[in-house]
Amino acid sequence: MPQNYVPIFIFVALIGVLIPVTLLAAKLVRPDNPNKTKLMPYECGIDPVDHARGRYTVRFYIVAILFVVFDVETIFLFPWAVKFKALGVFGLIEILIFLVILIVGYIWIWKKGALEWV
Amino acid sequence: MAQYFTLSDYSMSLPIILLTLFALDILLIDLWIPIDRKWFNAVTAFVGVLVSAAAVYLRIQRPLDAAGLPAQTAFMNAMLLDHFAIYFWYLFLAGAAIAILMSVRYLEIEHEHHGEFYALILFSVVGMMCMAAGIDIVLIFIGLELMAISTYVLVGFLRTDRRSNEAALKYLLLGAFSSGIFAYGLSLFYGLTGSTNLVVIQNRLAREMAGQAHANPIAVIALLTTATGLFFKIAAVPFHQWAPDAYEGAPTSMTGFMSVAVKAAAWAMLLRILIWGLAPLRPVYVPLLVFVSIATMTGANLAALTQNNLKRLLAYSSIAHVGYMLLGLVAGDAHSPMADGIKGILIYLLVYTFMNLGAFAVITSLRQREVIGDELDDIAGLYSRAPTEAVLMLIFLLSLAGIPPLAGFYGKYFIFLSLIESKHYVLASLAVLYAVFGLYYYMKIANAMFMREALDKTRLPISLGMRTALWISAFATLVIGIYPEPFIRAVNWSLGIAQVGPVASLVR
Amino acid sequence: MLSIETYIIVSVIKTVIALFVLLTAVAYCVWLERKVVGHIQNRWGPTRVGPFGLLQPLADGMKFLFKEDLTPPHVYKPLYIAAPMLAVVFALTSIAVIPIGNWVTIGGVHTPLQITDVNIGLLVILGVTSLGVYGVALAGWSSNSKYSLLGGLRASAQMVSYEVSLGLSLIGVLIMAGSFSLREIVDAQGGTFWGFIPRWNLFHGQIVAFFIYLMAAYAETNRVPFDLPEAETELVAGYHTEYSAMKFAMFFMAEYANMITVACLASVLFLGGWKGLPFGPAWLQDLPVFWFVLKVFVFLFIYIWVRGTLPRFRYDQLMAFGWKFLLPLAIANLVITALIVAVRA
Repeated sequence: MPQNYVPIFIFVALIGVLIPVTLLAAKLVRPDNPNKTKLMPYECGIDPVDHARGRYTVRFYIVAILFVVFDVETIFLFPWAVKFKALGVFGLIEILIFLVILIVGYIWIWKKGALEWV
Repeated sequence: MAQYFTLSDYSMSLPIILLTLFALDILLIDLWIPIDRKWFNAVTAFVGVLVSAAAVYLRIQRPLDAAGLPAQTAFMNAMLLDHFAIYFWYLFLAGAAIAILMSVRYLEIEHEHHGEFYALILFSVVGMMCMAAGIDIVLIFIGLELMAISTYVLVGFLRTDRRSNEAALKYLLLGAFSSGIFAYGLSLFYGLTGSTNLVVIQNRLAREMAGQAHANPIAVIALLTTATGLFFKIAAVPFHQWAPDAYEGAPTSMTGFMSVAVKAAAWAMLLRILIWGLAPLRPVYVPLLVFVSIATMTGANLAALTQNNLKRLLAYSSIAHVGYMLLGLVAGDAHSPMADGIKGILIYLLVYTFMNLGAFAVITSLRQREVIGDELDDIAGLYSRAPTEAVLMLIFLLSLAGIPPLAGFYGKYFIFLSLIESKHYVLASLAVLYAVFGLYYYMKIANAMFMREALDKTRLPISLGMRTALWISAFATLVIGIYPEPFIRAVNWSLGIAQVGPVASLVR
Repeated sequence: MLSIETYIIVSVIKTVIALFVLLTAVAYCVWLERKVVGHIQNRWGPTRVGPFGLLQPLADGMKFLFKEDLTPPHVYKPLYIAAPMLAVVFALTSIAVIPIGNWVTIGGVHTPLQITDVNIGLLVILGVTSLGVYGVALAGWSSNSKYSLLGGLRASAQMVSYEVSLGLSLIGVLIMAGSFSLREIVDAQGGTFWGFIPRWNLFHGQIVAFFIYLMAAYAETNRVPFDLPEAETELVAGYHTEYSAMKFAMFFMAEYANMITVACLASVLFLGGWKGLPFGPAWLQDLPVFWFVLKVFVFLFIYIWVRGTLPRFRYDQLMAFGWKFLLPLAIANLVITALIVAVRA
């Protein structure tokens, strides 16, 4: 029933109002004395070396893509799990085939080293 | 405990299941094969293709003919296994087999001989099979995406080559975009008719448009967006921009596979959707097809005249061939396509598979350790380095140009015949004119092979796989050209046209 | 069925009460942690501000309110300010679907002890938890400092890796309950085995799933032993290096709110929610709120106990654990659960 979702929106709206109000209240109340040293990016007390937006390893992208693949697998498993009894043995065998294909993929990425450090 | 899929569904899709099993198998055993035995993956893939073809014949074609049924449905009417689908399934498997044979040594030279190349080829054939046999737009779309994603990876397989990366990225971005537009169009058809099954869509559209003069505007928009996606996949102008770059950057054996099997699958999808699904909208899409085919022939032929890169030149020639094929669909009146036109398209795809793969096989064999082998200069003087290959290349080029008695002639013949019979004289003359343009750039290559001096005079080593691929393609090109009767019969069978007379009445 | 106005008024009242209780719980969770960790480390923890240091959270709140909040000029302002707000909003939202007790009738209004009983409650919680990664990632990126960026990336990679195992471990529970609705999952855990062992999922075969859930949840909430993203000795303070005062307090609150959500979910999914122990005096078995709070408290205590006891994982060990151990274990768990349930039926 869609009207069940309205309280969630009320909840989010309430928080969404409360938090900025808190921040605003804090902004009115606190002192504000910036000087150059306080405003520099933190690097253990020394002057910053090199750009912040440098390059970083490609492994983060690999993790993100693997997450997407396995999360989509999880999403496909959810409806099956909920309707498990109605789908019976036939559904179980079908989902096992699905899982086998994904496990072959998992073994492949493991042996290819995509999960190293990762 | 309801059961929606029965055992017969699974045995109908046995070729698909077998290909998937072989592909998964390659993925697994590749992890444990030592580097010098990687060709074993190619053997597994080839065996998989043969086994799948055997399954198509034994499990699908023979029972259908024995029972006298024209077709059989599977998976709750999502899959239609008729002669059309079987014909295309054989075509895809043939293309895949030759592409696998071509790739073995090429990948070794490029140092990218991983097993997943072959697994991806098999997965993309699975996708193509779903596209050809699907009569439900969901299944067609799933097959399309499976084929496309496998192909994106295959195009970018040469990881250290910038052109390959660029080609893959361009293909991916444009392909994903066009798939999105295609899906939008299909969803509009679902909204209009309330069903995802093409046959039901056709019936409901026909009922709705029965008394009206103009088509429903939403149906027109849906047709336009669906057609955009379809034209992208077959690389028709003005949606062809990805093709030259993707073909040039991809590994050459992959370019061969893409230009042949992927294109055949896209055509299967196009014919399914336009003839089985959107037939009531034919008065709307015929003008569109005329415009696109003229643009395609013009653009591709003119662009190919100035190319020096062999792969790009063949890419533009591919696009030009698509232009001719589109004319086959135009032939006929405003309410039904002419059977000869569709026959022409199917024969064209058959001969095109072999002659194009043959041409790309020769270009693939030019790749040596130091030489990339894409340019016109690299093929210069091929006659002195590898005379048999040069002669075979000449056969493929003449066939591409449409010279009898080679196979390419029959493709063009049926299409032009259907145009003339349906009184599209202007279109027919334009097509013939552009075919002459085609002769120029094919002969440019032949000229370089025979008349110019080779830059590097060493003998060209050709591996066993490559030789097999070349001879199979050449044999097919020659045989279809000299004795086309059984192949024309096969095409008639696939379209359900009754057999009429012996070879002499080749006209029908 | 209630009329629409009564429904909205009741929801607003429940929301206000829940928020109030939740925010107080977050504040006192901090107090609890400092006390418990202190005692584990053989010291007192806060004792000066109020009896047993109970007014310490109040003092902390005032401090955060009055502290100078530097907004460095090199940050990307819109996301810099939005990130802590996003983190807190998503952390608190999950409470909206968690059931504390059964249906009650107060003043003629028949309503569940839950802000709303959505029939896909578990999916809502998983979705909101996934959104929680945004707060961290955006904070790291918008701060425009090397420490923050790396800390943010590592934190998001960690959260995202363990989310897969989290989702997979819940499938066993779903198979047994047959519904996403948290209320129905709790109801499916009624009854007992042999008269005295309650039929909670923990005792009903989901013990492996329970431990996978717990470990994945520790990694999701960036707590020890997976708290490398905010480890003081490694990356200064990771993704919240450039934040101060109230915005930092928001991240702090988000982390403890996440902890409380995890504890609530664990008690609902695996420990029978508001159902009491089947033995003991009858009046004790009929206090849903008491049992729920008791179970949540037990989980929070375990959280803090682990924090005081275990050392921290290195990042590559953390990732290897998540991808190479928990994921296959979760898949094995779901396959075995499915097979057993299928055989039994």
